Amino acid sequence: MSREAYQIPTTQGNAQGGGANLTRTFDLEGATMNYICGDCGFKFALRRSDTIRCKECGCRILYKERTKRMVQFEAR
Amino acid sequence: MAQKPTSTSWDHQYNTLRREDLFRNPPTDHTAYPLLQQAVNPHIESFDAVFANDGLLAKGLADIGTKVFLDGDDRTPVETRNKLSIRYKGVQLSKSLLPPANKFASKREVLPAECRERHVSYRGKLAATFEYTINDGDTKEFTREIGLLPIMVKSGHCHLRGNSPAQLVARREESEELGGYFIINGIEKIIRLLLLNRRNFPLAIYRPSFTNRGPAYTPFGIILRCVRPDETSQTNVLHYLNDGNVTFRFSWRKNEYLVPVMMVLKALMETNDREIFEGLVGSPDSKGIQNTFLTDRVELLLRTYKTYGVYTMAQTRAYLGEKFRPVLGVPDALSNYEVGTEFLRRVVLVHLGNINVTEEQDSDKFRLLLLMIRKLYALVAGDCAVDNPDAVQNQEILLGGFLYGQIIKERLDELISSGLRLGLREYFRKAPSRTFTSDEFRRDFPIKIFQKTNEQVGTALEYFMSTGNLASPSGLDLQQVSGFTVVAEKLNFLRFISHFRMVHRGSFFAQLKTTTVRKLLPESWGFLCPVHTPDGSPCGLLNHLAHKCKIMTGSVDATVIPQLAAELGVVDTSSAATDESVVVMLNGRILGWCKPSESRRIADTFRYWKVEGSHGIPLELEIGHVPSSNGGSYPGIFMSAEPARMVRPTKYLPLEKEDLVGTLEQPYMTIACTEQEVVSGESTHCEFDPTNILSILANMTPFSDFNQSPRNMYQCQMGKQTMGTPATALAHRTDNKMYRLQTGQTPVVRSPLHNAYGFDNFPNGTNAVVAVISYTGTVKAWTQTMLDEDGLPYVGRAVQEGDIIFAYHSVSADYSGNLVNRDGITKYEKYKDSEQAFIEEVRIIGSELGNEPAQTISIKFRVPRSPIIGDKFSSRHGQKGVCSQKWPAIDMPFSESGIQPDIIINPHAFPSRMTIGMFVESLAGKAGALHGLAQDSTPFRFDEENPAADYFGHQLMKAGYNYHGNEPMYSGITGQELAADIYIGVVYYQRLRHMVNDKYQVRTTGPVVATTGQPIKGRKRGGGIRVGEMERDALLAHGTAFLLQDRLLNCSDYTPTWVCRKCGSFLSVQPTVTAFGGKKKIANTVRCRNCARRLDKIPDVEVSKLKGEIWEDGQGNQWVGGEETTKVAVPGALKYLDVELAAMGVKLKYRVDSKDAIRKGRLTQKTPKEVGLDNKRLPALAVA
Repeated sequence: MSREAYQIPTTQGNAQGGGANLTRTFDLEGATMNYICGDCGFKFALRRSDTIRCKECGCRILYKERTKRMVQFEAR
Repeated sequence: MAQKPTSTSWDHQYNTLRREDLFRNPPTDHTAYPLLQQAVNPHIESFDAVFANDGLLAKGLADIGTKVFLDGDDRTPVETRNKLSIRYKGVQLSKSLLPPANKFASKREVLPAECRERHVSYRGKLAATFEYTINDGDTKEFTREIGLLPIMVKSGHCHLRGNSPAQLVARREESEELGGYFIINGIEKIIRLLLLNRRNFPLAIYRPSFTNRGPAYTPFGIILRCVRPDETSQTNVLHYLNDGNVTFRFSWRKNEYLVPVMMVLKALMETNDREIFEGLVGSPDSKGIQNTFLTDRVELLLRTYKTYGVYTMAQTRAYLGEKFRPVLGVPDALSNYEVGTEFLRRVVLVHLGNINVTEEQDSDKFRLLLLMIRKLYALVAGDCAVDNPDAVQNQEILLGGFLYGQIIKERLDELISSGLRLGLREYFRKAPSRTFTSDEFRRDFPIKIFQKTNEQVGTALEYFMSTGNLASPSGLDLQQVSGFTVVAEKLNFLRFISHFRMVHRGSFFAQLKTTTVRKLLPESWGFLCPVHTPDGSPCGLLNHLAHKCKIMTGSVDATVIPQLAAELGVVDTSSAATDESVVVMLNGRILGWCKPSESRRIADTFRYWKVEGSHGIPLELEIGHVPSSNGGSYPGIFMSAEPARMVRPTKYLPLEKEDLVGTLEQPYMTIACTEQEVVSGESTHCEFDPTNILSILANMTPFSDFNQSPRNMYQCQMGKQTMGTPATALAHRTDNKMYRLQTGQTPVVRSPLHNAYGFDNFPNGTNAVVAVISYTGTVKAWTQTMLDEDGLPYVGRAVQEGDIIFAYHSVSADYSGNLVNRDGITKYEKYKDSEQAFIEEVRIIGSELGNEPAQTISIKFRVPRSPIIGDKFSSRHGQKGVCSQKWPAIDMPFSESGIQPDIIINPHAFPSRMTIGMFVESLAGKAGALHGLAQDSTPFRFDEENPAADYFGHQLMKAGYNYHGNEPMYSGITGQELAADIYIGVVYYQRLRHMVNDKYQVRTTGPVVATTGQPIKGRKRGGGIRVGEMERDALLAHGTAFLLQDRLLNCSDYTPTWVCRKCGSFLSVQPTVTAFGGKKKIANTVRCRNCARRLDKIPDVEVSKLKGEIWEDGQGNQWVGGEETTKVAVPGALKYLDVELAAMGVKLKYRVDSKDAIRKGRLTQKTPKEVGLDNKRLPALAVA
């Protein structure tokens, strides 16, 4: 709840920066990521400029996979 | 091997195994909860009625008819010009399919679930087939696509129609998907049900605003809302004038027109004055002739009409045609007579004949118009009472599908008439030499000319659905232009289902100052729920249908009625005296007349036959028998077999069978509420159950008959605000906001309807264990990367305010068509909410054609909210409250059996609210929990002889507990026994969606309004809460002056300000500027410019002799004096006021010191020097 702390309004949105490790350079094709088809459940890889559709059934909704990283939170 | 069909009967018990089986194995035959589907069906059936074979749209196309266009110059004679006749042959709607351009997809259908997930509309292709001839040549046909039309889910054009629960689950829907709504941009929208005047029934109205129409107009009128076979309507009104004359009024394209009623009568039929006189008064030997009030006026009616000098039918029609030719927009080729006929077809009593009107239909119209005049005169004479247009008796329901069909029809009409006319005009303007018969035109006709017209019927309907605004040239005979659609919010399932049972009176009535329209009338009994209406501004205007109330969505076959009526003694001759003959009508058509004594016999016979199912009379026929009375409603038998009526089932006692009762007939019937109330020889019907009058939601309140009535209303509201389980297909839902309860339970205390409606699929609360546990905490020092390699967040990650959710950049195509980012800028979107959330789902949404790279994503956040102090909870008895304290379990009191309460409620909550139902629920819940039973909580099951407390008290005794539900308890802290026995039980609690986290508003400093310096409004922007006049009064009264100053000044527009003590002005002070200070130096000396003297304006200035320091202003001018400035703290608003007043030429002077005060008392002579003014200046305006 950081609403309490008053932030001086600025005219320009300070949207830039902030994302950690953003200096990582993308190669032209971009990284290959796995996605899951919203219809048939087929898992396949897509690159940045690929068209969004399932390679098996042509479905137009793709889900991002749940992260494999550790997701652990302090339980209260 | 035939499997046993899924059972659809339910009792009030838990049925745990049966429900588990239903969940694990969704039925493959039909749903186990047919009542749910029935609740929504009127919506779906009405939509299907539009597109059915020979449905409303087909009838509408027939009404649109053939449009005729002429080529060439307007000034040339009609005969020499070529004629193009065009009409709609049909309109076809296809299911929602992928466009053929998509070559990738294996499944072609677009399912509703996909539309929700992709945030698009669920729609199908609409195509129209036209047929045209040129100069009576061969007819030619062509078909054009006219846009994508939003389709109602589960309608006949939906893929989900007739799917079993198992199929629905496979298609990512709820197992009990109901349909009845549209999906517009991923949002579920429904068309509201609206209450309208009952169709084809002459309503006697007294409305003072009628006098505004003209000098002679009186408040008396007869309104008849005629409905065409395609469900579009045209209202006809008869007005009574002071002198006894009658005018016929109608609106056409939002304009009102008035015609003498005699002219309409004469145009309808070849008639004469005697026929009209006898039609109104009765035959010369009838009683009606003795009514001099009537005969005087009819005579005047006939006499005054003579001034028009039109006598025959042909003359009258030609006269009307000439007058209404510009209004109706008819082809030039028609003669005046034909236009007059067209006028009668389109405007006058359209329900009796609308297409290819026969002479017989015109005669029906003639006779009905006579009846209306008769009723009007009876109304004026006081022989009959006014009809209440606010009573459900005189109302019907505008179904969403019907309205949808009306809009489509009007759009199609526009397309073929004005749209095509514009297209043709444009075409001939560019190529004036061409005619309809030229070869170029033949080549160009359908394609080129239609290209220029707006064919997007689908877009218009999508606009209508998404905004609820009706953009219509005719207004569709409705009283409002907006607010037709609402979002079907899936906040919880009760709210969702309520949307479909909601009936609105119309937004026109919301602005009305009188509250008569909002009244709960006895006529509503069994049709509209008396409990389920919101409190506040929509109270009484927004009602909900009783759960057994049905809406007819089609007309039933009543063709046998006229014949049967004739056999029962209905004759053609009549008299104006209602004690001599009363009218017999069917669907607004006069079948004949009968004696009042016979009318009851006829009505009773018809009713017996209809319930019996004999003589071909349908059960759904409404037989409204209005008996003769002394100054009551106009008598007669008014039968109706039409759609849009509300009907409800009751038991017909003579046959012990179900009868469907309509709104018009019910007030004149005797329906016993319970079996005991049946009066022999008087009651004809009996209710199946007294709870039939309640809506679905009101039925869910346990023991509601024990509660004070407003509490039940509050519960109906709060039931809809509860955080519950809105859906089971949660992974496929993309609602803007959705609440989800982790600890839903089935209530111990519930009525059988709870199971019948399947509410256990969507639990809405917890049995007193008000602990919504979410298993989360805060994450500290999370320094890893926020984004995955694709620029999207990790699914499952926690996000805090300011975290980056995703990254994106702009691209453009390079020389080889590859998309590259040129500016090298990556933009980031931040998470703005102050609450921690988790990334639940990330969806990447492709285009319909499947050929575009990622441009749209949809991220679902999950915000965990365990209950905290300040959150709102409520039992099911309108007993809402906020959680005020959370205690550790060890500190809670405990009973002898070791039970600890989850909630402690203050006894003061009961005396004023009188929610006895909550006590009973507590008893019943306790007994049910102890015995492992579900308790039936249907209202009206207990009475004085068999009290509820006794029934459940004995159950408690059997379990070894106190009969009254009281128990000794011990303090959780000290272990001492509490002085009194405590009433403890099990109550089902709801957690309401109003949570402090969405409400708290704190501020010390923050953004302010620029002009006044006071805090801005609004929680979202960090504004303040206004301490208003009443709050100020309270603080004053408490003597808390310091607090008051803190609120009104220090935390608001506290402004330290320089003021001149001498001249008392804020506006004349200014900081001095030194030539050497530079920009950085802050001016700490302030001088009054008004009191200072400019050096170069003082003649013979001698610097050394001047008193005071010389100072410089911004322009480099040197001044001396004006040193009496000081700093004071004033409200910023005061300074603002000063400036505003100065702009008006009013000066304010402030006394900074008390010695500047104006002396009170008698004026004494003083020299100007004594006062402190030099003799040149006049005293300024002092503000005391």
